[in-house]
Amino acid sequence: MANPMLEIIRGLIYGNILPIGRLSPSARVFATLMGKHGDIVPFLSPQIHDHAMTVAKVPARKYYFDAGLLVDTQMAVERWYGFDVPMITTDNYNFEIEALGAKMVYSDYGMPAVDTNQPLIKERADLDRLGALDPTKGRIPVGVEIARLSATKGLGVFANGLFCSPFSFICLATGYPKAVRALRKDPAFARELFDYAENKAIFPYLKAQARAGVKQSIGADAWAAFPNLTPEMVDEWVVPSALRLKERGKKELKMKVMAGTAAADYCEEDPAKFNKEIMFKCWAVTRKLLPMDMTMTIMGRTQDWNMEWVQEFAVKNGKWGRKLPIYASLNGRFVRDSSPKQIVDKIREWINIMGRDGRLLFFIGNVPADAPPVNVHTALQAVHKLGRYPIAKDLSAITIEPHKFTPFDEWLKGQPEADVIFKAREKKK
Amino acid sequence: MGEELYQVISKAVTEGEEEEAVRKVEEALKSGLPPIEIMQRGIVAGISKAGELWKANEYFLPDVIMAADAFKAAMAILKPRLKEGEGVRKGKKIVMGVVQGDVHDLGKSLVIAMLTSAGFEVIDLGIDVPLQKFIDAAREHQPHILGLGAYMTTTMLEMKGIIAELEKQGLRRKLKVMVGGVPTSQEFADQIGADAWGKDALDAIQKALKL
Repeated sequence: MANPMLEIIRGLIYGNILPIGRLSPSARVFATLMGKHGDIVPFLSPQIHDHAMTVAKVPARKYYFDAGLLVDTQMAVERWYGFDVPMITTDNYNFEIEALGAKMVYSDYGMPAVDTNQPLIKERADLDRLGALDPTKGRIPVGVEIARLSATKGLGVFANGLFCSPFSFICLATGYPKAVRALRKDPAFARELFDYAENKAIFPYLKAQARAGVKQSIGADAWAAFPNLTPEMVDEWVVPSALRLKERGKKELKMKVMAGTAAADYCEEDPAKFNKEIMFKCWAVTRKLLPMDMTMTIMGRTQDWNMEWVQEFAVKNGKWGRKLPIYASLNGRFVRDSSPKQIVDKIREWINIMGRDGRLLFFIGNVPADAPPVNVHTALQAVHKLGRYPIAKDLSAITIEPHKFTPFDEWLKGQPEADVIFKAREKKK
Repeated sequence: MGEELYQVISKAVTEGEEEEAVRKVEEALKSGLPPIEIMQRGIVAGISKAGELWKANEYFLPDVIMAADAFKAAMAILKPRLKEGEGVRKGKKIVMGVVQGDVHDLGKSLVIAMLTSAGFEVIDLGIDVPLQKFIDAAREHQPHILGLGAYMTTTMLEMKGIIAELEKQGLRRKLKVMVGGVPTSQEFADQIGADAWGKDALDAIQKALKL
């Protein structure tokens, strides 16, 4: 990214005063978030780590253990697709629990996974036995290096460290049913679990990130999505926990700590049960956890939602005559399993409903490893073509053909990441 | 008195009051109420009610986990007594579990309640069950039916791998595989080579009886 401050100013001016010319990708995002809209609807980079690994054909046993390889691979794949703002992610739920000694399952083809059948925390006494996280253990140094490299590779204000938020950590450490039983039946134990997660497991990791110069860190919390937790439970347990971590990070580390990302995300799977009132409650709670006020959707079955509801919520809760920005996430499985035409039709529908008055950002919740690249390319092309301001009166008149793209390997030749990626593919002799 | 106790048991299961459910089942047994009636009119009625509330968006996953806990605790008390009496349909054994990565307990609990009520012997492997555990259970218990449940489109794909592994290990021929759960369908069951698909708990019983 060029000078981030200039990009912010350019976005601010375009979005609020003078919508003239073409914006850089990051200024486009700032214009959308802080003004009415940019030149086109931006498409933010999704969580793409295992998909990027698959596209670049690098082995999982190297990729998830080598910060340089992971960052370079994602930067290259995200640029190949053409997302407006890059984002580096990894299997960020696993780092703290792995360093504390949880049994992990490693594979040649997929990300490391916690073996939830052998929980790290079975009873209260385990909290004392485990003690505090040692930041030299497991892949904590790799996680710190990923965060450091993200900041040096041009992500600018979008660079951040990653960690596992407290409730998700608890679920991975005890199993989800036990975590929920504690919240419902044994709040004293639940408080001990949160205290352990925040202060003994997560904070030492944040401290290590801060020592490496990381200025902000984001904690994913998919286990706290609805219906795993009700919005009321998120409000009671997850929001205060996130605020505690935020406060401690600010005070002791001078770091912006954002826990609870994806908590209260509406993830009901059964379309017959979609409920506007519950969705509104979820989005209202989500707002308490976000660094800036917006309507956020991440992992839900959004392809089957009535997007008029999202628009209504954003308009209703907006200020100064402007709706809240909408972070509209195409469901990852939808992107994987649909035809390019179905994806284009869905994007057309969404831009028609939510894009005309601006403040719309596209995103994909999580691009599955085996999603066809043509679908991702087509989604980007469709958003950038259909989402050009002023939005065309008749979007159905704009045709989008499945995107013809240069194969990744061909494109990669001559790119700065080429050597690292090609070398990683070589088998040890 | 019987009717009142059945209602108390049912309510305790619905509301996830595990200890109350166990206490009242013990009380019902002591007072001589028939185990099959305790199960059907108390425990099954309670978990079915939780299912209705879940469908109606009045119950959420944490409520369901609590109800399923109470259901399992109550059934654990009742099960030995059922075996003594009119409980088990001899020779019909079913191993059931929710596939790995999926913690949705209610659908499985409902199907187990109905199957047990219909006289099947059910071995419950629980939720978030890894592939190998299904294979080991198929080998150890030699059931007539293996039941696989999933609530999410991501996790239902695990079922295909389990069926393939059963084939690979030579366990598939003598075993019928039933699948179920919100995202599954008859087409999906056909695609992955399952023998039957249970649309809901009632449908699952009817199909299991025919297998």
